Amino acid sequence: MDIFTIVLWVVTLIWFIYSMIKDKRKTLDAMKKSKGMMGSMLPQILGILFLIGLILAFIPPEMIKNYLGGSNPLLATVISALVGSITLIPAFVAFPLVGSMVDMGASVMPAVAFLTTLTMVGLVTFNLERKEFGTKFALSRNLLSFGFAIAISLLMGVVI
Amino acid sequence: MINKIKNNLFLFGILGLYLLLFIVNMEKGMVALGNTVYYLKEMLIIMPVVFLLTALIDAWVPKNMIMKALGDNSGIKGSFTALALGSISAGPIYAAFPVAKTLLKKGASVGNIVVILSAWAVIKIPMLANEVKFLGPKFMIARWIFTVTAIFIMGYITSKIVKIDDIPFREETIKEGEITIDKETCIGCSICAKTSPDYFLMDENKGKKIAVNKRDYMRLEDKKEVIESRDKCPVSAIQIGETEKA
Repeated sequence: MDIFTIVLWVVTLIWFIYSMIKDKRKTLDAMKKSKGMMGSMLPQILGILFLIGLILAFIPPEMIKNYLGGSNPLLATVISALVGSITLIPAFVAFPLVGSMVDMGASVMPAVAFLTTLTMVGLVTFNLERKEFGTKFALSRNLLSFGFAIAISLLMGVVI
Repeated sequence: MINKIKNNLFLFGILGLYLLLFIVNMEKGMVALGNTVYYLKEMLIIMPVVFLLTALIDAWVPKNMIMKALGDNSGIKGSFTALALGSISAGPIYAAFPVAKTLLKKGASVGNIVVILSAWAVIKIPMLANEVKFLGPKFMIARWIFTVTAIFIMGYITSKIVKIDDIPFREETIKEGEITIDKETCIGCSICAKTSPDYFLMDENKGKKIAVNKRDYMRLEDKKEVIESRDKCPVSAIQIGETEKA
């Protein structure tokens, strides 16, 4: 557990205890409401997690390395952005992976595109997002994120 | 059972794929399952706290406060509040969905929700530390500046494309001018009954003193007075349809 997760737990638990003491009924009522929302999301989230496991079994992080290091940087950027949109690998795996690529002399642009779409664009979480926020919202956010991820990587290519 | 499968087609479809994979290629199946275990652990660490947090926000943070801090008129300050909220958070993006939905229900603007979700996804502080370690401070700072700029622009564009009506809410939205009182939230302070005696009166419900509707719809000439009652309610239990933003 990183420090932020721990802090989140501590703060929330203190707030929760305070809430229970101050108004037990209100707290329990709110939890009931929250349970309804979480209950409908949970099967979706479980499905997403199993799907990620499945995708990573067929596209392991080592294989992603090959896509990042393509010879044509522009094409590699777009492909990396696409691969990043599909997969959802944790940051502590992604950063060392990308770091070693850049150290080996790979172009910065595909690396940035991959890092940005990895977390901001979610193909596997799209259905859940659509259900909770509507098709228009999910589509706009994911498409814009993809476009801006490319823009950010091009700018990074100029700066770094 | 059949209904359960029907409602969770996605999950059962994926589990079916696993079954198939295990039959065809046991080894790959084990790899996939092994990968999943990591993500399941991550979820078990973060989701209970997200669950509590959404309930607590729902119970204690008044609607007016969220509207003021993150609503349509919160301006540039609202954007930075959203950015800060997303940055100090923990957990993967799906953990952000329930929190974002709760804030949206409480009056946060669509644009600021995009900022929270995006910041939660890409520029969390623990991730930035990791980025410095492996890619250097210059790389991290440059990417941070570009990403924050992009997130603000995205929030602005999305708020122009997506209106609040495009977003599905589970509860029926109330009709224009309709007045509702949340019985569970009301603490029976009787401020509303004093401010607008034509609209609210005090009653007993399961031994608890609460406010009830005297009129279900607001007359236009009473708008100011009823809205005043709503804003004075210490627990924000009163809702008025459509005219919310007025």
